[in-house]
Amino acid sequence: MKVILSLGLIRGLLWQLLGTALGIGFFTLVRALLGLPSWEAEPAIVVGALFGALFFLLGVGVLNDWLKWAAGEPTEDHVDDSHLGWRRYFGPSLDHKVIGVQYLVLSLVLMSVGGLFALLFRTELAQVQMQFLSLDQYNTLMSLHGMVMIISILMGIAAFMNYLVPLLIGAHDMAFPRLNAFSFWIAVPSAIILLSSLALGGFDTGWTGYPPLSVRAPIGIQMFLLGVSLSGFSSILGGLNIIATIVRMRARSMTPFRMPIFVWSSLATSIISLTATQLIGLSFQMVMLQRLFGMSFFDATKGGNPILFQHLFWFYSHPAVYIFVLPGLGIISELLPVFVRKPLFGYRWIAMSSLGIALVGFLVWGHHMFTSGMAEYLRVPFMYSTLLVAVPTGIKFFSWLATAWQGKISFETPMLFILAGIVVFLLGGLSGPPHAVVSTNLHLHDSYFVVGHFHNAMYGGFVFPFFAAIFYWYPKITGKRLSETLGKIQFWLMAPSFVIMSLLMMRIGLLGMRRRIADYEPAFGFEPYHLIMTIMAFLTALGVVVFFINVIYTQLKGQPVTGNVWNSRSPEWQVPSPMPVHNYERELIVVGEPYDYGSPGSRYVKFVGEA
Amino acid sequence: MAHTSKSKAFRLGLLVFIALVVLTVVEFFLAVYLNVWLLLVIVALCKAGLVIYYYMHVYRLFQADTTLDRNSYAYKLATNRLGLWLFLVSDSFVFGGLMVARINLLGLTHPHLEQTVGLIVTSVLLVSSFFMNRAETAIAHGKRNQFVASTAITLILGIAFLVGVIGVEWRIAPFGPADGAHGAVFYSMTGFHAFHVFTGIIFLAIVLRNGLRGCYSSERHWGVEACAVYWHFVDVVWIFYYPALYLIGTVIE
Repeated sequence: MKVILSLGLIRGLLWQLLGTALGIGFFTLVRALLGLPSWEAEPAIVVGALFGALFFLLGVGVLNDWLKWAAGEPTEDHVDDSHLGWRRYFGPSLDHKVIGVQYLVLSLVLMSVGGLFALLFRTELAQVQMQFLSLDQYNTLMSLHGMVMIISILMGIAAFMNYLVPLLIGAHDMAFPRLNAFSFWIAVPSAIILLSSLALGGFDTGWTGYPPLSVRAPIGIQMFLLGVSLSGFSSILGGLNIIATIVRMRARSMTPFRMPIFVWSSLATSIISLTATQLIGLSFQMVMLQRLFGMSFFDATKGGNPILFQHLFWFYSHPAVYIFVLPGLGIISELLPVFVRKPLFGYRWIAMSSLGIALVGFLVWGHHMFTSGMAEYLRVPFMYSTLLVAVPTGIKFFSWLATAWQGKISFETPMLFILAGIVVFLLGGLSGPPHAVVSTNLHLHDSYFVVGHFHNAMYGGFVFPFFAAIFYWYPKITGKRLSETLGKIQFWLMAPSFVIMSLLMMRIGLLGMRRRIADYEPAFGFEPYHLIMTIMAFLTALGVVVFFINVIYTQLKGQPVTGNVWNSRSPEWQVPSPMPVHNYERELIVVGEPYDYGSPGSRYVKFVGEA
Repeated sequence: MAHTSKSKAFRLGLLVFIALVVLTVVEFFLAVYLNVWLLLVIVALCKAGLVIYYYMHVYRLFQADTTLDRNSYAYKLATNRLGLWLFLVSDSFVFGGLMVARINLLGLTHPHLEQTVGLIVTSVLLVSSFFMNRAETAIAHGKRNQFVASTAITLILGIAFLVGVIGVEWRIAPFGPADGAHGAVFYSMTGFHAFHVFTGIIFLAIVLRNGLRGCYSSERHWGVEACAVYWHFVDVVWIFYYPALYLIGTVIE
């Protein structure tokens, strides 16, 4: 019991409960003192949730050092808490490797939750008419699936950026370790707030939360808006930290064009998440304000403009897709040369293409609004800017093909996932331009074709590279190697069934299936397609279950591995696994190009004092 | 020698302040007599540029490192500066988003507000920026007493600004937050800004308390510098919000 209470997470959750109750009580008391009718559910719950999040942070103890600074007391840098063992993963550790694992676990938990939601409403869709979900439940699950998965992806990329960026650039930690811990821990109460919308009547807006529907939705939407706004801070501050780390903490001899590609893609991602994320937070907060105080930003009858919400929302939410995929594409570029034993083709072009996607990504949001009543003259500029994204993305594909060309390819599990990522992202990429082109967009808008395209982009750009990265760096993180057999079973369960599912999504979308709806017209004959898609979704989920079995099996039965498992040139593999607490004992010196695989005798890095 | 550089720094702060005052007066009369939005935007940009360069010392970001020792105070200081500026860049997207909402919903109109109150709170914030700069210059030259006094004055002026906006302007405004788009825009823009002023006041209070206990020296005063840069950032936001809410366009009832 004492051990359990000493865990920051448990303390935080208890404090959050306490804080929520206090917030609701405080708000009601203030109203009573002001002589207003003392109970009003919606603002009370919002205040309670805000208090809960703040109390969670206090309870975890992630604010302690800042409070000490404010009080003018000294704090200790580089705390070695490795003596705590497994317990430090549940507390406010400042070690970027611990925080990376924390992000990873949170990402997998949220992915399981979001996946479960998807399975529930996918099963409902397998047959026409409603079987076991009510329409409201369907809408809530469908909406939450979107946002829970998005936050899971943000946590997943943060996991690898946190774990890898300092290691790849030879730093001992992130530039701001306390901010790093804060960025992670703010995400936990926000995820809880987000999921609490299930208990508060849910909501029916989809993950986009467009007004006026979101202004009329049940109270659950407030928790959705607040949870997303708060978890946005995780992304913003995480991005800030990554940029500062890359700029200030690189090994002295690592010039920008000798940084590993993953660092470049992390930089590009962080530039977007640092800036654009504020606008989804703002647009959601404006909806919250409209609901709480009647401020008519989006109420056309009182001088507001609902299209304004869509502009603010998509200014983040389109670049957000590049936040999700750029690290994954970076992982593909990072791992591909290792498994084909050839230099990465066109290093500089790849590095610049990440930045190119990030910057062009800021100019394309209008293509989500071709049917929304946006000024018509804006359609063509947004069409061309969107099509322009295909150029830097095409550079990446060209490089991957040229890298793999005539290589000595070996098909370990990470490589399988990398290849699946490339193929699936290509499907997602090729189904993109039809949405960019105005004429086809008007036909495809709000159809299942969009759903298919989006899931292809996410699986190719995030899910498959994410699993590749887990399989690849698992020995570095834990000192044990995941089972290849189980990994291959997982791959063959996930990849083909996912491809079938997404192609069918696009097929029925072209035939006229609308997205987001709970029921469909039997006469269209979509039922068999939906049944197959549901079966494929379950097979994909089974693959994830196999992954969890693999992790448990490896932790219990796996043999320790310490060496350079994949024969990589990257600096983190030149030291024993698992990674030492303070990363590199001696300073890193860059002596060659990062990806010169196959040229005998060449090295990327050595350590001070090494021959 | 040290004395001349000291008085130079103080004199520069004063000169910039005078320039800002002149520009604010020019801005006000431009709005009254000409009301060409482009001119007001240009004046605001000039004011913001002066504050960002001379008060926020943006050029410090681009100074080369004097040391390569990663554990030294100087190196960490430069890293902290970068972090703070990245935060401000991020924060400016919030204020920019609200400005976009204002332009979209109100266009060339502005809400019906009391011009005297607007001018007074703007002047209060401007004077507070001057004293904030004075406090930072003082501690950088080891003048503890002047630093403490200037910080305290900044703090009081900050509170006065909040009282002016929340306590006076919000009360006497003839419309509430639920009254149409101009109500929504006015209360959200001033509210978000006031929240930042409020956090800045907390920051100032912490700096004042630690300053009284002697936590800062002429070599080590990152806390003061961070507070000053943040405070000036809040001022820069108001440099744009003041004309956007009070000056540009015609009044809507």
